[in-house]
Amino acid sequence: MRNPIATLRNRWSDSDARTDGGEPASERSFLDRDSVRSAPFWVPPFLLVGLFVYGAVVWNFFLSLTDFSGIGEPDYSDLDVENYFVAFSDPVDGFLSMFGMGGEVSGGTPAWSDLTVDPVWNSLGNTLALMIGFSAVCLALGLLLAILVDRGIRFENTFRTIYLLPMSLSFVVTAKFWLYMYNPQTGLINIALGVFGIGPVQIVQNPDLKLGAVAFALIWQFSGYAMIVYLAALRGIPSSHFEAARVDGASTIKMYWRVIVPQLRTATVSALVVITVFALKAFDFLFSMYGGYQPGPSADILATRMVREAYANQNWAYGSTIAVILFVMALCIVAPYIYSQYRRGEL
Amino acid sequence: MSSDMNGDGLSRRTVLASAAAAGATGLAGCSSLTGGGGDEPENPIELLHAWSSGDGNAAVAALIEGFQEAHPDVEFAEEPVNGAARSNLDNVISNRLQANDPPSTFQTWPGATLEKFGEAYADIEGEVWTDDLKENYLPGPKEQAKLDGTYVTVPLNIHRINNLFYNTAVLEEAGVDPESLSSPADVVDACAAVAENTDAVPFAQQTSGSWSTIQLWETVLLAQAGIDGYEAFIQGEGDVDQVRSALENVVELSEYYPSDSSSISFTEANTMVMEGDAAFIHQGDWAAGAYSGDDEFNYGEDWGQVTYPGSEGSYLLNMDSFPYFDNNPSPEATKTFLSYCGTTDAQVRFNREKGSIPPRKDADVSELNTFQQDQYDDFTSADSQPPSIQHGLAVSTGIKTNITSAFSGFLEDYDADATAEALVGAFE
Repeated sequence: MRNPIATLRNRWSDSDARTDGGEPASERSFLDRDSVRSAPFWVPPFLLVGLFVYGAVVWNFFLSLTDFSGIGEPDYSDLDVENYFVAFSDPVDGFLSMFGMGGEVSGGTPAWSDLTVDPVWNSLGNTLALMIGFSAVCLALGLLLAILVDRGIRFENTFRTIYLLPMSLSFVVTAKFWLYMYNPQTGLINIALGVFGIGPVQIVQNPDLKLGAVAFALIWQFSGYAMIVYLAALRGIPSSHFEAARVDGASTIKMYWRVIVPQLRTATVSALVVITVFALKAFDFLFSMYGGYQPGPSADILATRMVREAYANQNWAYGSTIAVILFVMALCIVAPYIYSQYRRGEL
Repeated sequence: MSSDMNGDGLSRRTVLASAAAAGATGLAGCSSLTGGGGDEPENPIELLHAWSSGDGNAAVAALIEGFQEAHPDVEFAEEPVNGAARSNLDNVISNRLQANDPPSTFQTWPGATLEKFGEAYADIEGEVWTDDLKENYLPGPKEQAKLDGTYVTVPLNIHRINNLFYNTAVLEEAGVDPESLSSPADVVDACAAVAENTDAVPFAQQTSGSWSTIQLWETVLLAQAGIDGYEAFIQGEGDVDQVRSALENVVELSEYYPSDSSSISFTEANTMVMEGDAAFIHQGDWAAGAYSGDDEFNYGEDWGQVTYPGSEGSYLLNMDSFPYFDNNPSPEATKTFLSYCGTTDAQVRFNREKGSIPPRKDADVSELNTFQQDQYDDFTSADSQPPSIQHGLAVSTGIKTNITSAFSGFLEDYDADATAEALVGAFE
């Protein structure tokens, strides 16, 4: 191994004699460096983001280690991970309960509370189910729509707009709209089911259909986004690939499956990241649909649980604990994406 | 051209000047925050409330108008918190208390809800709660104005929860006499008669949110277990059999809900009664507010109200109140305002618009409508005035969250056994 100090010295001396007649770098003052000269542009946003985003994340983590509840000031002198033990208490039954198995899940009574505090297993299970179900179907549907729209159909722009339009609506609007759609008497869903002799089905408060109904509405809202991302990626594939596949005698399905879809990896990953993050944020939707942050045990997600603990019960530290759990989940989705981007040299 | 340039320069100067003025105002605002005591003139009263529309807004406007007539020298800065929902208002208060910057007062439920910001309130016995108030508030509301035995808030109005409203024409068609009902079980039988003899929905109810079901259950519990059983439950010593029995009654009633109860709101359920599509509705007396807005739908002729069968003699309370914060930005003015809210003049003005009744027993209610007068008679002659669970008087917020969770599960599967266990366990 070469001596790093020697290497550095070599570089130093190299730069003394520049053959291109430029100014020797060593004599360039600190203030002349590009990074320093551009500082007025990057330092303010860097500090603002650092303080208000990452600073808040770190602060929130410390808050989750305190016993802060009610009004007053958090006490940072006595930090422990008790809240995480409460959140994941009764791990075996709790974990099994996410798959509808195991016995009754018991909570814990942390030092800051007189009441028993439930663990997060139920809402964690619902959040995972919503996230996986919603994003998988959303991507599949988006891809299908993108391929169909890309086939050179008539009124292509109109269709594209129609599919994308729901995304421009707020969660509050779509939640009220779907509440109406799921109405057993007058809702379109039940009228459509009635054609096949099914129903009328009670959907909104049905423990078996509740979460599915929420996922369905979110799919309706966001599959248009997946479509646009895929469509952009499809347009980026040279037409020679399609032609070559055709010349080789591939059927349409085989052409897409073997040649085109494998090239959509980047698009899939970037759409997936955005869509799963939307699933984590489905709070607004549930809040509007069920008139508060009590959507019931079969649709309770971490976000509603977090707001309930923090704002209804003023259990700030426990709310922060749930926020950290949500943050870690979001990180698990975003980190592999950023790492793969980094490896491909796109960062 | 040159005149344009001049214009440009002038406007720029104007902008600068106004920016400076804005900055100065901001500074003035800061300095006025630090004041508030001593000989300095007081800050205006800052009242935060969620009555940003409808009857609530008209009521609070009437209240403030009356206050300004009586005390023209006291300045007022009323501030509706947008988003209307009370939980949002609580969040605002919570944030301001964390920042040690409380408003003068705000709209809150009295009773156990006061525990949420307990340390922030101050004793106003003597200054606001004079002998006059103590003498003229009935025991129920007076109890709810106290936090751990200390008077901290002034109740302004009373909504009743244990009502059963009905559409007269539908009940006549079904052959049901509402006055003859004497227990929650009778209500179920009456619903069966309505279902059999008419096309109307027997019992209008919304189940997309849990609040309507919680207040129905608490009414049935009061009717079945009596005031002692009800008081025992809210003390955390409830009898699980009584709780289950009340839930079972609700399960039986749910057979007679509209089939789309989970997709409709309270307003839609109430409209069903107004349009003759439903026979009964159990609600707080704000339901009557909607009826009085309809000239074709009159009290005594088209609709009527009975005390929820079985709960006669009790007036199940839901109240709003204005508490007094310690560290008050406008101590004297706030006390003047709260004292005014304790007068019959203020309470009649407010409740005339709100559709509720005054908590004082000596109010002249001739200015209120006939229905309110009847309710007021019931109130002043009631044996007990128990606090509502759903409307935050009876239990602290943590317990109420547990109760609401139990009911959000109940709405999914109507499992009376499991819910009864969860309700009794809500206090642990």
